[in-house]
Amino acid sequence: MTATETAPRATSVDAGAGHETDAGRPPAGLAGWFTTEDHKRIGRLYLGTALAFLVVGGVLGAVLGVERINSGLQVLTDTTFGQVYTLHGEVAVLLFLVPFFLGLATYLVPLQVGSPDIAFPRGSATAYWAYLLGGVLLLAAYAANGGPGGGSQVGTDLYLLSLALLTVAFCVALVSILTTALTLRAPGMTLARTPLFTWSVLVGGGLTLLASPVLLAQLVEMFIHHHFSGDFGGQASYARISWFWAVPQVYLLAVPAAGIAAEIVPVLTGGRLRNHRSGMAVIVALGILGFGAWSPPAAAAADFLYVVVGLAALLPALALVGLLGDTVRGGSFVRKAPLLLALGAVVHLLLGALAGAVQVVPGLQLRGTAWEAAQMHYTLYGAATLAAFAALWYWAPKIWGVVLGEAAGTAAFALTFWGAILLAAPDLVTGLVSDQRLQGGQFDDTGLVTAMNAASALGGALAVLGVLVVVGELLRRTRGRSAAGAAANPWGGHTLEWATTSPPPPGNFAEPVPPVTSATPLAGEATEATGATDREEVKR
Amino acid sequence: MTATATATTTPTPAPDTGTAALPPAPEPRRRNVMLVGTVLTIAAGTMLTGGLLAAYFSAREITQAAGEAWPAEEILIAMPNATLFVAYLTLLMSSVTAQWAVSALSSRDRRTMYVAVGLTLMLGLAFVNALTFSWGQLGMVAGADPFSTTVYALTVSHLLVVVAAHVALLVVGFRALGGQFSARNREMVVSVAAFWHFAVAMGLVIWYSVWFLEGGP
Repeated sequence: MTATETAPRATSVDAGAGHETDAGRPPAGLAGWFTTEDHKRIGRLYLGTALAFLVVGGVLGAVLGVERINSGLQVLTDTTFGQVYTLHGEVAVLLFLVPFFLGLATYLVPLQVGSPDIAFPRGSATAYWAYLLGGVLLLAAYAANGGPGGGSQVGTDLYLLSLALLTVAFCVALVSILTTALTLRAPGMTLARTPLFTWSVLVGGGLTLLASPVLLAQLVEMFIHHHFSGDFGGQASYARISWFWAVPQVYLLAVPAAGIAAEIVPVLTGGRLRNHRSGMAVIVALGILGFGAWSPPAAAAADFLYVVVGLAALLPALALVGLLGDTVRGGSFVRKAPLLLALGAVVHLLLGALAGAVQVVPGLQLRGTAWEAAQMHYTLYGAATLAAFAALWYWAPKIWGVVLGEAAGTAAFALTFWGAILLAAPDLVTGLVSDQRLQGGQFDDTGLVTAMNAASALGGALAVLGVLVVVGELLRRTRGRSAAGAAANPWGGHTLEWATTSPPPPGNFAEPVPPVTSATPLAGEATEATGATDREEVKR
Repeated sequence: MTATATATTTPTPAPDTGTAALPPAPEPRRRNVMLVGTVLTIAAGTMLTGGLLAAYFSAREITQAAGEAWPAEEILIAMPNATLFVAYLTLLMSSVTAQWAVSALSSRDRRTMYVAVGLTLMLGLAFVNALTFSWGQLGMVAGADPFSTTVYALTVSHLLVVVAAHVALLVVGFRALGGQFSARNREMVVSVAAFWHFAVAMGLVIWYSVWFLEGGP
């Protein structure tokens, strides 16, 4: 040992987490998972739980699809169809999409900004457990005949409480993530040099933090009213909850998807974003136009501002396509699963924005029809879920220390991309020719609509298969992973999370992060640093 | 062994070999983590207040458009205006004492800080007591009419925010008794005081929007 040797640094995990040992190792077994304050573990918990809920949501979607194949109900009654329909939407948004992106951000944002830990780790852990509890209570509430159309007083109270708990959990998690991005950035990392995924979390998360309390306010009032009067208020009351995933608010959920695509495409095509700031501007525009906390649908359907914002939301989607298209043109398109998934997400975002722009035209009267379901499926399932899968494939080496298979990734892309197209496109036709309302389980039995319903159900089945492929591949790879983990930077990534081992050690970075001088601090160095071995691993 | 290798492979403290080891690497500069987190929380709380008030005024407009009284005559008669005025004035005074605690810490006067924190907690509890007493005086039945429902939604939400502020201030108080915080290390105290001010501001907005506008001074 020499005199110049660096003494080991006390990581903030060691210092901040009472349950971690001096060596930075968490307690073994379940106790370690229950008591962890390590943002990487919390992030993995979020991702695993969100994927489990995605399977639940997929199964519910498949049941709804089967119901639509023929006119008339086979498995579900009128009431239960409505219940399963609303549960499907809530599981997709509140139990899968939002927590998935929160989990990804909890894991990645500290790494991307070069921080050894997340701000308020206990808050972050509490938010996860509140989310899990809220999710379980939501399912229990429906099982107890709660929900918007439920007949049970206690069940419906539980339903409203579970949604309130979820909303509070998301707010707490967001405060933790946003504070990390705002205050714990590495030296030299100005906001303008923030990686685009972190930037999208800042924008999307910031606006979600402002929109979620409005939902909470609605829930508090609805709970008091229902608990003491026993009256839920029917579909009008449900509309006060579901605005959270309606136009234009729905684009807020696609903001992280834009950040993920903007992060992946330059790296995997070998191109460069022509202008980092224009990428940031596109994300900001998408976020601002998607901030629909001001527009509960029942009141805003004919509102001029609402129509203008709905139409304008198309512009950032087009700008994103242009920006990434230019990047691909400047690089070389190599067929890799994360790239396919990311580009597929962008295509679906554009389709969703197009559908949304048409939907807000007052004269067409598309609100509440199958068109609305198609628009949501393009944006939430097509764009956001494909982006979530792209993120899994791209960051799996960093998160779990495994490289997910190319074949499985390509299959997941094909099933999800085409499944979402087939799921949504027929509903566009149905929305134009029929006023079939899905939520009430009332189906139009004319020949064209019946055929469209069958095609949509087939798309839903493909989408569920895509989910199963993703979950199966993740389980297969993570169960058989080697202790060595994956290469530090298998893709030649440009941002700081790739400067540390995969998965990262306690404290994230073995050495202090040097001052950051650009938005892509590892660009140009990645190939030299990782060498051929890393790239070969990806090929394998 | 190089410095790099050591840093990556040795997670345990280095044994004393008689050689001089360099001090631990510096942590990245933490830029007001607590304060920024508090500001974000206050922003969310402001939107919560806005959402609740929007629901209140929306229900008020619909009810009045239907030609019904807002609030109902018996509620208006029972409204304890004086008690409510004193309750919210007490809350406003707690904002002064919360800031007094910060000021005392800045002046290295810990004893005064303890007094200020204690007074703030007492004034907050007095507000909670007065508010719950006023609920009893009003005799409103939650869920019976839109006024009762929205007013309970507003005041119960505010009560929860006040309770959260109490918990945060209690933590600060106990930590201060344990010897934490100083004139230079006061970020947590400033943050909790800022949250307390928010709780007070939320209360004053509710007082003006509901009790003052409907019940008069």
